[in-house]
Amino acid sequence: MLKGKIKFIVAIVVIALTVSYLVYGGVKDTMVYYLTVEELKAQIPEVYESRVRVSGTVVPGSIIKENNGSLEFQITDGMQTIDVQYEGIIPDIFADDVEAVVEGEYTKNDVFEADTLLAKCPTKYESTDSLYENKEASY
Amino acid sequence: MAETGSISIFLAFVISIYVLIASIYGVKTRKRDFVKSAENGAIGVCFLLIIATIALLHSLVNLDFSLKYVALNTSTDLATTYRFTSLWAGQAGSLLLWSLVLSVYTAIVVLQNRNRDRELMPYVLATLATVSIFFIGLITFIESPFEKLPFTPLEGRGLNPILQNAYMAIHPLTLYFGYVGVTVPFAFGMGALLSGKLGDSWIRYSRKWALFAWTFLSIGLLLGARWAYLELGWGGYWAWDPVENAAFMPWLAATAFIHSVMIQEKKGMLKKWNMSLIIITFFLAIFGTFITRSGIISSVHSFAQSDIGPLFLGFIAFILLFSFGMFLFRVKDLETENRFDSILSRESAFIFNNLLFLGAAFAVFLGTIFPILSEAVTGNKILVGPPYFNRVNVPIALVLIFLMGVGPLISWRKASFKNLVKNFLYPILLGILTVTVLVVMGMTNVVALISFALCAFVTGTVFTEFYRGTSVRMKRGENVFTAFTKLVSRNKRRYGGYIVHIGVVLIVIGVTASSVFVTEKQSTLSPGDTMQLRNYTLRFEGIEQYTTDAKNATLANLTLLENGKVIDTIAPEKNIYKYEGNREINQETEVALRSTYKDDLYIILSSFNGDGSATIRVMINPLVNWIWTGGLILLLGAIVTMWPGARKSREQGFVRYTVRDSDATLNA
Repeated sequence: MLKGKIKFIVAIVVIALTVSYLVYGGVKDTMVYYLTVEELKAQIPEVYESRVRVSGTVVPGSIIKENNGSLEFQITDGMQTIDVQYEGIIPDIFADDVEAVVEGEYTKNDVFEADTLLAKCPTKYESTDSLYENKEASY
Repeated sequence: MAETGSISIFLAFVISIYVLIASIYGVKTRKRDFVKSAENGAIGVCFLLIIATIALLHSLVNLDFSLKYVALNTSTDLATTYRFTSLWAGQAGSLLLWSLVLSVYTAIVVLQNRNRDRELMPYVLATLATVSIFFIGLITFIESPFEKLPFTPLEGRGLNPILQNAYMAIHPLTLYFGYVGVTVPFAFGMGALLSGKLGDSWIRYSRKWALFAWTFLSIGLLLGARWAYLELGWGGYWAWDPVENAAFMPWLAATAFIHSVMIQEKKGMLKKWNMSLIIITFFLAIFGTFITRSGIISSVHSFAQSDIGPLFLGFIAFILLFSFGMFLFRVKDLETENRFDSILSRESAFIFNNLLFLGAAFAVFLGTIFPILSEAVTGNKILVGPPYFNRVNVPIALVLIFLMGVGPLISWRKASFKNLVKNFLYPILLGILTVTVLVVMGMTNVVALISFALCAFVTGTVFTEFYRGTSVRMKRGENVFTAFTKLVSRNKRRYGGYIVHIGVVLIVIGVTASSVFVTEKQSTLSPGDTMQLRNYTLRFEGIEQYTTDAKNATLANLTLLENGKVIDTIAPEKNIYKYEGNREINQETEVALRSTYKDDLYIILSSFNGDGSATIRVMINPLVNWIWTGGLILLLGAIVTMWPGARKSREQGFVRYTVRDSDATLNA
């Protein structure tokens, strides 16, 4: 009976250790720092060639779409700005002034080469501000 | 109508508080009348919330823009169907729906169990009432769907175009049925803990409701995946996005629970485990609702941001403290009735199944909250992306598929070598054969080979079971068809479960093929140009534009050739919605999909240029259709399992080694 119990405990410990190992290894190898533009700039030069994720607002007028589908634009935190180069699927809501999240590498010539581009809505989703444009003259 | 609605939810809130107090008071003082009155109250709450929901639907359909919720989620050009579905497009409406579904479930629980389990049921009702109070409280005081605007706008803000899709219309509804459904087995668990009636009753009710909730969660997850695949336009169906994980975590825990309850039913084991598991499942369901509704973790699906976050966290903390507190209080009554005999037994296969499901849930949980956790601990926001989730979950999933093959055929208690050979020889040979054939055909990806081999193994074991059962009946003189249908209908739980397993196998095959063997290409084409991808050729014929009431559409006409022969024409679109201004998203990419059981051709119009050229992105995703078909089979299996009737024969089927059923005698 005791022998059986020990086998179980061993099996359970093995499973727990394996899962922990997978989690630990997974976190260690795939983790990515999420920075603001300012934090990225502050970490030059260590940040060069490491994989990071950066968020910022798309600078109006900075978007250049090439015919081959690649994209160049700038993002800013209001103070500092970085150049981004991206190739891939462009989200439908990507435009001037939206909050963009890019993931990739910041290269030595100070261009962010992104392979992931996400865009968030510029305003809070349930904001009522926009309704004021359509209000009835009822008051 | 709005006044009717707000009065209804306020009354529902007050009556829910009454239900909680009356049911507890009634059972404590043994005053049956109070319990009865609480039960009637719960049915009243259900009616009130139905009225409130109808009131909101009425306002949505008739576009009463004086209500904030209506103005934010509809517009005059919105089709009537989507005015209905706007009910769950925003925060307040979703919470109303949550409350409504919970109140309907509560009413069903009350009606099904009147005069049964008189010690247990009042506590079950009290638990359900507590959860109701929280949700109805939110819509009464914080996020009212009937909140008025200080003025009446002429036009509403409209529904996000990516939410205007048939899958999006039913997917949240399905998920809510699942999320809320988890509350009921939890309430039975809490009822058992509070009343001390920890016998068979609670586990029997919980199992049925958990299975019901699990089915809706599964289907909801698949519908969500299909929506993402068709609508988001990045070519995949699952991105380990926080909101996807939010539904996946309770699914994992619920899957563990519906397996381990069988061990408790049949052998009286794992009582503490099951109780903890249902608490964890409920916690994950509420946590999932919290992630989805609070917008705390940014996500492509989070269509809401609001300040109900702290309240949710408080509620979650309360649930955890209270449930585990009660659990510790009763822990001595949850002693097991049997012991594990051997590591090679069905019991241990179930244990490992449970540990792995819980391990996966933990890994997903950690990955989902990692940004918050790392910021709190180190001050840096650190993300773990899809590679993390894949690395952790793929190995776990492979072992689980293996166990899915082992579980149904291995003996209870202790499997002998003879038993193992008899049951597993052919399925193992089938697995080896599959690998050999695939390697000969040139497949080299190890993960894919293992996955397909395991799928063949599981299919082998399931067919062995069906074959054996059917042939035994055929020896008694029944024909194949009768033998098969009787086999299934006489033991719905068992064979329904096997059908679910076959559905899961199809899903696994589809997921493996479509994640390992994707081909992707992007080209900029002028009219007349072609692009080649595997044995497909796409010829770009030109850009075409058209206008409807709602949008300006641009489409790229493409001719598809397979091995040089024209087989189809395809036209991916890019739409600009006319109604601009207030909507954040006015542009939408419409994917062109040509789907067969062999592969999906997934075509996106990335951009079009002034000179008539267009940039086209093409993906070949193999076997994606198997996932959706697997989902249908899973649903079929779940329906078979839950189908009512033949109750007697089924319950006679239980053989328990020990019976220590104090409630059964009390309540008889």
